Amino acid sequence: MIEIRFHGRGGQGGVVASELLAQAAFLDGKIPQSFPFFGVERRGAPVTAYSRIDDRPIALRTSITAPHVVVVLDPGLLATERVTDGLKPGGLLLVNTTHAPETLAAPGGVRRAAVDATHIALAHGLGTAMLPIVNTAVLGALARATEVVSLEALSRAVEQFVPARPEENRLAARDGYLGVRTVDGTAGPSVPLPTSPRVAGPSLPEGPMASLSSERIHTAAWRTFTPVIHLDRCTKCNFCWKFCPDDAIEFDAVGFPKLRLEYCKGCGICAAECPPKTIEMVAEV
Amino acid sequence: MTMKVLSGNYAQSYAAQLARVQVISAYPITPQTSIVEKIADFVASGDLNAQYVKVESEHSALQVCISAAALGARTYTATSSQGLLLMHELLHWASGVRAPIVMGVVNRAVAPPWNIGADHADTMSQRDTGWIQFYAESNQEVLDTVLEAFRLAEHPDIRLPVMVTEDAFYLSHTVEPVDVPEATLVDRFLPPREPHAILVPGEATRLGSFTGPDHYVDFRKQLADAIERVPKLLGKIEEEYRALTGRSHGGALPTYRVDGADAVLVTMGTATTTARGVVDEMRAAGHKVGLAKLRLFRPFPDDEIRRLATQVGRIGVVDRSYTFGRMGPAATEVSAALYSGGARPPLSSFLAGIGGRDITPHEVRRMYETLLEGRTPTTHWEDLEEEVTVHG
Ligand code: SF4
Ligand code: SF4
Repeated sequence: MIEIRFHGRGGQGGVVASELLAQAAFLDGKIPQSFPFFGVERRGAPVTAYSRIDDRPIALRTSITAPHVVVVLDPGLLATERVTDGLKPGGLLLVNTTHAPETLAAPGGVRRAAVDATHIALAHGLGTAMLPIVNTAVLGALARATEVVSLEALSRAVEQFVPARPEENRLAARDGYLGVRTVDGTAGPSVPLPTSPRVAGPSLPEGPMASLSSERIHTAAWRTFTPVIHLDRCTKCNFCWKFCPDDAIEFDAVGFPKLRLEYCKGCGICAAECPPKTIEMVAEV
Repeated sequence: MTMKVLSGNYAQSYAAQLARVQVISAYPITPQTSIVEKIADFVASGDLNAQYVKVESEHSALQVCISAAALGARTYTATSSQGLLLMHELLHWASGVRAPIVMGVVNRAVAPPWNIGADHADTMSQRDTGWIQFYAESNQEVLDTVLEAFRLAEHPDIRLPVMVTEDAFYLSHTVEPVDVPEATLVDRFLPPREPHAILVPGEATRLGSFTGPDHYVDFRKQLADAIERVPKLLGKIEEEYRALTGRSHGGALPTYRVDGADAVLVTMGTATTTARGVVDEMRAAGHKVGLAKLRLFRPFPDDEIRRLATQVGRIGVVDRSYTFGRMGPAATEVSAALYSGGARPPLSSFLAGIGGRDITPHEVRRMYETLLEGRTPTTHWEDLEEEVTVHG
């Protein structure tokens, strides 16, 4: 049995990727099992999905804590999420990134693979610059780097189960397959195998519930695009403030909107709602 | 000592007033309404300095109490039957955020068919919501238990909401003499709530927001541990109350003439009073029968039930509601308690008093006789043996 864990963000297609992988594996004659884990159900929030693929019925219904393969759809997650937790020695870390696989930090002995899925997705018109739908390109890369599914089965699964733009998605899968670069476990920086210590009960607030203010949760860690407000055309209409789901906009002394960047998750809703379109979403590098 | 002739509902209202509750929110429902009407009178006349928040439903009433309790206020509400069922979601919220609310519940049948008579189906179906549950037998017990409930609910080792229930009409609308203790006495027993606010105005705080599988269980376990601490603390609180008022209601499972009894009935609420009379009468005729009153239903008094089982020949549990596909809910609990106890006498589940039926001495006697004759039916619908005429 092969166990694969996907790390993405709400809205990126990580969950769909794990389901598509299951469909493709089934077409290959395997028995798959895929399911998501949602934390806070918000756009931009980290999302995990799991896939198991075996030749026999899978007698296990748990999350995957010691995967053979970890797939990261958003390179920003490398800094904020412990994506390599439990990754098996000899396993594979596959990341959607513009960087070379040698630069990826992973526990010793873990193979690394890199694919520029964002570029591939945008080249095929999948998603927007702010929210590229990278899942099919990443799956193509996964097929090549692991051989858990054939490209042929993956292409058929895309044709059958991707509701929008199946042809573009099929081509993205092919380009991911062709574009992935894999290096062995001795290349690149090595980090110690992380463990997941569980905080035991007594460290939680006794009695009442969590009394932690959400003000202390800096959703900025989710951001890949930053809104830039061009005040010359701003009419002080307050729409951006009204629509921002994370209360990341306040006003300066003369009534112009001002960003609280530590809370801005880069969702772009303010830019979409701004009547004179004076908010620009700029990619973070 | 001031004796007043009061209904069970007014016993709730007087207790809330004596407890100096600070926030009340409620929605009217038969047969509860006179509880909160009387409290509204107290607030209007200045006899109770409290905020009375009017709302459009029981769901909102409980939410107001939860928020007020989180801000540190002493809170009270009351409801019954369908109103309690509408609160279901927020019952979990109240215990989950550890809001020490005290709620009077008038036990009434649930619809359909529509029925406003005494029946425990309303509170029994809320037994897994993390609330402490008391079932009262008399109006005096209602008043005393509400005062004790505040002490329990607000205790730092507990911090859980409490239901103090009373049978519809048999208590809610029955007037009988009640000793209403002096306010100064109650103030000594129940001082103002220790300031313990989870929410502080002006400070951004989350209450009950998303918690993943990593920590959710820890909060559940905290709640589980807290409710387990109730029985021990109840004993201490009752002792203090007795020292001040001379009254105690005997803890979680007060018993009556159970020593060497061949047959014992376990009753809840007002059925207990009638059954006690039958015990005296049957004892006088030479039958060795006894009685145990299930006063505290959550947490369930396992130890007391097991101790009782070592002293008696047979146990019958009288339930005023039915768990469909099982038996009487109290019978289920008693049998679960006995499974891991030392003594396991034969056990029967008697269903009686459903939907406002009288539980008559004649019926109680028949239940004892069934047990004494050695017949121990698993579940028996006593009401169906009786002819009834309903007037009005
Ligand atoms: S400021 Fe704009 S981009 Fe940032 S969170 Fe708010 S709406 Fe989203
Ligand atoms: S929505 Fe646009 S125009 Fe309106 S206040 Fe915000 S930036 Fe200015």
